[in-house]
Amino acid sequence: MISAPLSRRGFLAGLGGVGVAGLLGACATGSDEGSAAASTTLTLQSSLSDPDPKAALTKVVEGYTKNKTTLNTIAIETFRAQLPTYLNSGNPPDVLTWYAGSVARDYSSKGFLLDVSDLWTGDGPCAKFSPALKELSTAEGKQIFVPTNYYWWGVFYRKSAFQEWGVQVPKTWDEFIAVCKTLKGKGVAPISMGTGSTPWVAAAWFDYLNLRINGAEFHRELLAGQHSFDGAEVKTVMDHYRQLVEYIDPKGRSYSFQDAITPLVSKKAGMYLIGAFATSAVPADALDDLDFFRVPIIDPNVPVAEEAPTDGYFASAKTRNPQGAKDLLAYLASAPAQQQFIELSKSGNLPTSAEVDTTKFSPLVQKGITMLNESKAITQFFNRDSSDELQTTADTALTKFLDKPGDVNKILAEWQASAKKVLGS
Amino acid sequence: MTAVATRPASPGRVRRRRNIPKVVWVFLAVPAVVELAMVFWPALNSFYLSFTEWNGLGAAKPVGLDNFKELASDEVFRGALQNNVIWAIGFGGLSVLGGLALALALNRPRRGVGLYRSAIYLPMVFSLAVTGLFWRVQYQPDGTINTLLGAVGLESLEKQWLADPDTALYAVLVAAVWRQVGYVMVLYLAGLKGTDPLLDDASAVDGATAWQRFRFVTWPQLRGVNTVVFAVTVIDSLRTFDIVWAMTHGGPYHSSELLSTYMFQQGFTFLNLGYASAIAVVIFALALIFIITYLVRATKEEAV
Repeated sequence: MISAPLSRRGFLAGLGGVGVAGLLGACATGSDEGSAAASTTLTLQSSLSDPDPKAALTKVVEGYTKNKTTLNTIAIETFRAQLPTYLNSGNPPDVLTWYAGSVARDYSSKGFLLDVSDLWTGDGPCAKFSPALKELSTAEGKQIFVPTNYYWWGVFYRKSAFQEWGVQVPKTWDEFIAVCKTLKGKGVAPISMGTGSTPWVAAAWFDYLNLRINGAEFHRELLAGQHSFDGAEVKTVMDHYRQLVEYIDPKGRSYSFQDAITPLVSKKAGMYLIGAFATSAVPADALDDLDFFRVPIIDPNVPVAEEAPTDGYFASAKTRNPQGAKDLLAYLASAPAQQQFIELSKSGNLPTSAEVDTTKFSPLVQKGITMLNESKAITQFFNRDSSDELQTTADTALTKFLDKPGDVNKILAEWQASAKKVLGS
Repeated sequence: MTAVATRPASPGRVRRRRNIPKVVWVFLAVPAVVELAMVFWPALNSFYLSFTEWNGLGAAKPVGLDNFKELASDEVFRGALQNNVIWAIGFGGLSVLGGLALALALNRPRRGVGLYRSAIYLPMVFSLAVTGLFWRVQYQPDGTINTLLGAVGLESLEKQWLADPDTALYAVLVAAVWRQVGYVMVLYLAGLKGTDPLLDDASAVDGATAWQRFRFVTWPQLRGVNTVVFAVTVIDSLRTFDIVWAMTHGGPYHSSELLSTYMFQQGFTFLNLGYASAIAVVIFALALIFIITYLVRATKEEAV
């Protein structure tokens, strides 16, 4: 029977693909096997598992010839669950894709990330990035992240579908609810949302309602643990969320965020609050018909805030080849590499380097740039403004809420309790 | 071997032990060291870690029994424990009943029986993760199962099987049993081959009904196989992880969480390695209790 732990560990190893070194590293406390051999091959662990971004990054990495580089693409949800294990293993990947902001700071505070401050000074590839990006990539006074692109969130819809249904783009909350009502009357699911295998999507509406009602500053403080999830402010947010529940496609509970794009494209669903990355899953013939609008304003006195999550790369603190890792990061951050990636990935992401020519980007992307420029405040996303662990408390609370909106007070109390546990540890 | 060699009355055999070439000890030592390093050492580490708080970096902080106290008040853990009980009973019961019934039905040689046996065994060759993905497609809102229910006029039974907290665990259970049943069937088929057909024929001549023949003639002869099936089933049900992870990730909101998935989430997503080790210790203890109880009972029965 002593073999039970073996088999458990055995398949965990298979799942994580961390290999024996990582496995042993996870078993013995304080082990830090410093294999002296500086490996020359760099590993780039990528979460970009959707076809177009994956192909784009493959091409970009092929263009890097200075060090031999292996691109290792992992399905995003597996990557998300395994990222701490990757970083913590004895022989971690050298460079990894992930997100800027609190989530990167959280990993940095655990000692997982390589200090890349020298890329941000002098002639460094990130030296000319905006101060806001630098602030976003900084933890404890040093830079630990290399942002390469960012995107916007919006309520996506098909122009021709809105015409068929005879509805206009809503500007206010009441107009938005009215549109939902009209669509439901026509037998269309007003709002699509894939919360099955990607429950974090449910946090998008939470974020936006909180931004529209309580503002960006309160939102950031809430996610940092300075306010309570069962306080009066969050209850107001949930009152608004509750108005939406009857309009959300119930089948979305079984869908992933990608699956939930299909009803939108086939006009079985009307609207979808999602990031611009979703456009890469839309068929080419529907792409020109796709448009988006800003999440409607609820309280005009609250400064308009938008989510603009920033993607990029960080390097492992335990990399065997820090110089090579930094060199790869510098290459990935360069304007030509950014431009190549954005063009090939067809995702409508925006470059962080001002040297990339954006004039040839599609009208949809131009509209996204304009919307972000008009916003008074920028946030990232629930997990990026807090941590991947706090996100799981939101997943539990919000998917439960979508099933049982009547239990909202109990759910919020549970949420606060589990959030406190996460933030306290 | 050692038991034989230490018998004092046979000096010839003692000499034979001395003559064992040294290289044999080397061959024995290598797997012993591997076993110690890869199985016992990590397992012992798990026990040690369960009394600490550790995020994988730096030194582990001993916290005594805090992890276990926290487990006792952790509702997700209690839900997972309850689910594990449901899982062990459902998975064990259904796969044993199903496997035994199929084995009995397919035991007698007749035309095409090999085809049926292979077809029922076939799911076993898929990995649990593949099984999970396959069934996830069937359970989709517009998937095969809902379509079939709709086609026979049972629309009212259509559900979002994996997204509904009331059905998620059972939906995964069905998929796991679907795969396991062929394996149990093969074990019982082998067992049935070892029974004496003459006994069966004799009791039939004496006028025993089919049920009586099974219960009083065949079943007692399957005791050896039952031990194997029981052990395999308990171990398989306690270590179930991949199919739940592939199908629901323990969701929606922990409703299909098992101890193993919760342990994985705590250990490898949140890096609460001490807490996760405490869950691992609980799993280990449960497995041990089951197996020891059963072995004690089995040996007692054999002694009688």
